Amino acid sequence: MEEYKFIGKSAIRVDGKEKVSGAALYTDDLEFGPDLLYAEIVEGPHAHAMILSIDTSEAEKVPEVLAVVTGKDFPYNFGLYMKDRFIFAQDRVRFFGEQIAAVVARTPQAAKKAAKLVKVSYAPLPKVLSPIDAVKKNADLIHPDLENYEHVPWFFPKPKSNIAHHRKIRKGNVDQGFKDADYVLEDTYEVPRYSHCAIEYHAAVAKYDHSGRLTVWASSQSPHTQRNLFANALAPLGLKHNDVRVIAPHVGGGFGSKAGVTMEIIAAAVAMKVQGHPVKVLWNREREFYNTYQRLGVVAKLKIGVKKDGRITALHHELFWDAGAYVEYGANVVNAVGLSAIGPYKVENASIDSYCIYTNLPPGGPYRGFGYSEFLFGLESHMDRIAKHLGIDPIEIRRRNAIKEGDLTAYGAHMNPNGLLQAIDAVEKEIKWSEKLKSSNPDIAIGKGFSLFWKAPAMPPNASSSCFLKMNEDASINLLVSGMDLGQGFLTVMAQIAAEILSVPTSKIRTENPDTDRNPYEWQTVASHITWGCGNAVKKAAIDARDQIFDLIARTNFLPKDMLYLEDEKVKCKSDPSFELALRDFVINGIQMEDGTFKGGPIIGRGSFMPEYTSTNANPETSQGGHPNVHYTVGAAAAIIEIDKQTGKVKVKKIVEAVDCGKALNPSLVDGQIVGGIMQGISTVLYEDMKFDHRGKMLNPNFTDYKIPTALDVPDEIIPIIIEVAQPDGPFGARGMGEHTMIPVAPMIANAIDNALGIRIKTMPITAEKICLEILKKEKE
Amino acid sequence: MAIPYEFGYEKPLTLEEAIQLLGKHGKNARVLAGGTDLANEVKQGFRVPEVLIDIKGIDSLRKIEIIDDRLHIGALVTFNEILESKAVQDNAYILYEAAGLVASNGVRNRATMVGNICSAVACMDSAAPLLVHDATIHCLSVDGQRDVTVQKWFVDNRKTAIGEKELVTHVSIPIPKLKYAGAYQKMMRYSGEDLSQANVGVLLFSDGKCNVAFGSVGPIPKRSPKLEAFIKEKGINSQSIADAKEMISKIIAPITDVRATKEYRMHMTKVMFERAINTAVERLKKPKLITKK
Repeated sequence: MEEYKFIGKSAIRVDGKEKVSGAALYTDDLEFGPDLLYAEIVEGPHAHAMILSIDTSEAEKVPEVLAVVTGKDFPYNFGLYMKDRFIFAQDRVRFFGEQIAAVVARTPQAAKKAAKLVKVSYAPLPKVLSPIDAVKKNADLIHPDLENYEHVPWFFPKPKSNIAHHRKIRKGNVDQGFKDADYVLEDTYEVPRYSHCAIEYHAAVAKYDHSGRLTVWASSQSPHTQRNLFANALAPLGLKHNDVRVIAPHVGGGFGSKAGVTMEIIAAAVAMKVQGHPVKVLWNREREFYNTYQRLGVVAKLKIGVKKDGRITALHHELFWDAGAYVEYGANVVNAVGLSAIGPYKVENASIDSYCIYTNLPPGGPYRGFGYSEFLFGLESHMDRIAKHLGIDPIEIRRRNAIKEGDLTAYGAHMNPNGLLQAIDAVEKEIKWSEKLKSSNPDIAIGKGFSLFWKAPAMPPNASSSCFLKMNEDASINLLVSGMDLGQGFLTVMAQIAAEILSVPTSKIRTENPDTDRNPYEWQTVASHITWGCGNAVKKAAIDARDQIFDLIARTNFLPKDMLYLEDEKVKCKSDPSFELALRDFVINGIQMEDGTFKGGPIIGRGSFMPEYTSTNANPETSQGGHPNVHYTVGAAAAIIEIDKQTGKVKVKKIVEAVDCGKALNPSLVDGQIVGGIMQGISTVLYEDMKFDHRGKMLNPNFTDYKIPTALDVPDEIIPIIIEVAQPDGPFGARGMGEHTMIPVAPMIANAIDNALGIRIKTMPITAEKICLEILKKEKE
Repeated sequence: MAIPYEFGYEKPLTLEEAIQLLGKHGKNARVLAGGTDLANEVKQGFRVPEVLIDIKGIDSLRKIEIIDDRLHIGALVTFNEILESKAVQDNAYILYEAAGLVASNGVRNRATMVGNICSAVACMDSAAPLLVHDATIHCLSVDGQRDVTVQKWFVDNRKTAIGEKELVTHVSIPIPKLKYAGAYQKMMRYSGEDLSQANVGVLLFSDGKCNVAFGSVGPIPKRSPKLEAFIKEKGINSQSIADAKEMISKIIAPITDVRATKEYRMHMTKVMFERAINTAVERLKKPKLITKK
């Protein structure tokens, strides 16, 4: 095995000291001077209504108000994958709390005061609050113009319906597969909406200056994609891409909510009306819940047929997604699941129907896991139930069906190398699966649960990353990339990759959050692709720099290039051990020859990466023929829980999770992702419980009544296990693992509850109340 | 967060000044102590007064002391100060227990117990402990001193017996002569900070008398004389507890809201009652611990 000096080591985070000391600046911390203006939003108080008129005259009279803008000022569509969204509502409000207008004033107080004076009259329309209602015959249409929206070629909207996209898989012979089965289990699972709950609110400050350029400072996962969407949406106002600049300060948590464009477009657009002034739009906790993105809800109908030995003969998965009022990003969640809803199993005969359905609820969008947590809740519950019925151990049934390298995925491509079986074995051993546990307290039931997981990045086939690497006089490096450090440690890992190639320690490599004017292109920091994608770009840039260095040494010192190598910031030569030259002696000022001339010049590495084997060209009726996903990351997890039978309260005692990340470039950061993902998973299964009233208004947009765990709710023990089966096209074999870590938690806890109590719960969340009422119901029976 | 509403602000430094201001502004004023409820209400425009009277400058209201066999807790005493007080731990352990479950450490640094019972939101944690201890609320106004028993203090959700011009100066709790032990149980959705969806306070005396209070399962927290008489008569055993749990169905009337259903609240109140009474029995067995002065 190759020995690495920086890769595979738990390097200290490059942004750590700044963050833990409180010195790091976030968007709302930045100073913009006395010209700064504040925007306040006017929200629609209906889930579905026509806007009859907007009267801004009283608001305009409020002192210190500079502008009041409405949808009429910006009659533009925008969106990431489908242009179905508007900067402000046009003629129609589609979810409760949607932005109708904005007031721009010199103080937040004046803006708020004036916003209350904007008079809007509405004609309410029938609202559609569930995906099942939305696909009924004669359901009211939420987007009557659906057929006119531009969208990516891999979406298939159904005109004159609420179905924005339908992803279909048809593989093998499903009917025959079910006929061949010894046992068929069919059931429905429901997973409601969830919120990201990043600690930092969304914030954006935009300035359209007198040189005609628009600068936006935003808490962002996607600076370049935001620049692209701003430039496209505001092109009618005369903006070109190079006129738009996005600067991304530190981000206080994203989890998907700060990908694509949501509220940031308001700052960008409003700034165009008050040239010369920076305008700040700051969200509050309530709006974080109902007007950014929410995780989509789903009703999943699942049917699996198996032989007596547990081998799957056929699978049919029908998923009805509650995608909300706008699906410009969320429709791709539906698409991703449509391609992957067989789970990490070898399934010869599969059919999947994944429907993206408009509802009059807040827009659904990207959330850590991108749909996989949602469908695996049902699928991994189902596998446990089948095992129980057949009398097979729940781990054994998974081992028998586990997908292996070279097996065909649902869309007919070959599965990548993976360590799924190793992960299963490691978890089974660490959790002591066969050991029976019993509490001495008669009120406490103990249960064990298990789950597999998998996920692929969901990206356009040409999503790309790039990197500039600049060497300095002292051989220190400025590494320019446009991925975002969202807390996962991205910047640190990029420094490690460059360090490994160039032998410069990470302490001498500075990587910072981007400015789109200075830093090269990155698609987005989503999809757990950034270590893999941007890591490849950084590696290429470092190799490019190294090539330049070796070329220079070869032509100035007359040494064979292929004998040169780097060690301890020096160039050395395998065929001439007496030769060594420090990088600091030449990487900027070149090498002086005997005649006094210099050769060389500043070393600037360049790397760009795009997967060149991906394609969405496939038969829309079967999804066979393309290669939409770059790779899958897999793993396994198990839990031991205690349940108080009188109160229904669950205490998670121990969780073991193994993830195959190909190569852990920084093991302590991988462990951090595992622990964090497990906590987010626990939160969604046990605590978070989003509620809407009959008007479609969210009832608990606050942490008083939307609960995420505290330090007191952390399991007694979490054991992360790293599996390393190299990803052939990953940097040093690495593949993504950030989102994946939360995916197994919900089904694993549901399985543990069934193991403890003999109660199968098929809807999330599984709160103490739900468990307790089920126990009481069972006692009555 | 910007507050778009305007209001006056007064900061009296003496009790006399404070009640004069309250006498002048009456119902147009609101008293600011910890402000953890008030600040939110003002920010949201829910209840914006014409004038805020900030009493944080009146140091005499910041005391915990024992006077004539009564434990006095001043209007500015925060929940964390209660948690740090040996006098409270020794003489009203159940209040100490409840204080530790109020919100988070940060909120407990500011929030006051008197503010809690003046806001009188149904889910408050202070009420059940004060009810089982037969506390008295001491009010002062330009018209003089007025004492209200805690039983008569709560009128409705967010409504108390306080007069328009009155300031609560402190709450006092009689220190029982008999040996006693209490226990507080709070229904929460997780282990972190939460507003109670139901709570139960039990105070058990060595002569078999048992005070029981239920909170957050109706507009106001309340004692149940009927249940208390039943326990006193039957003693504490598995049958009497089972019967008492049945009685609870008729004593409380919880509602369904965003936090919990009425069914779960009812069930949990019974479970918590049983756990509280069993805990109190265990605690009473321990050598105690009647601290005075």
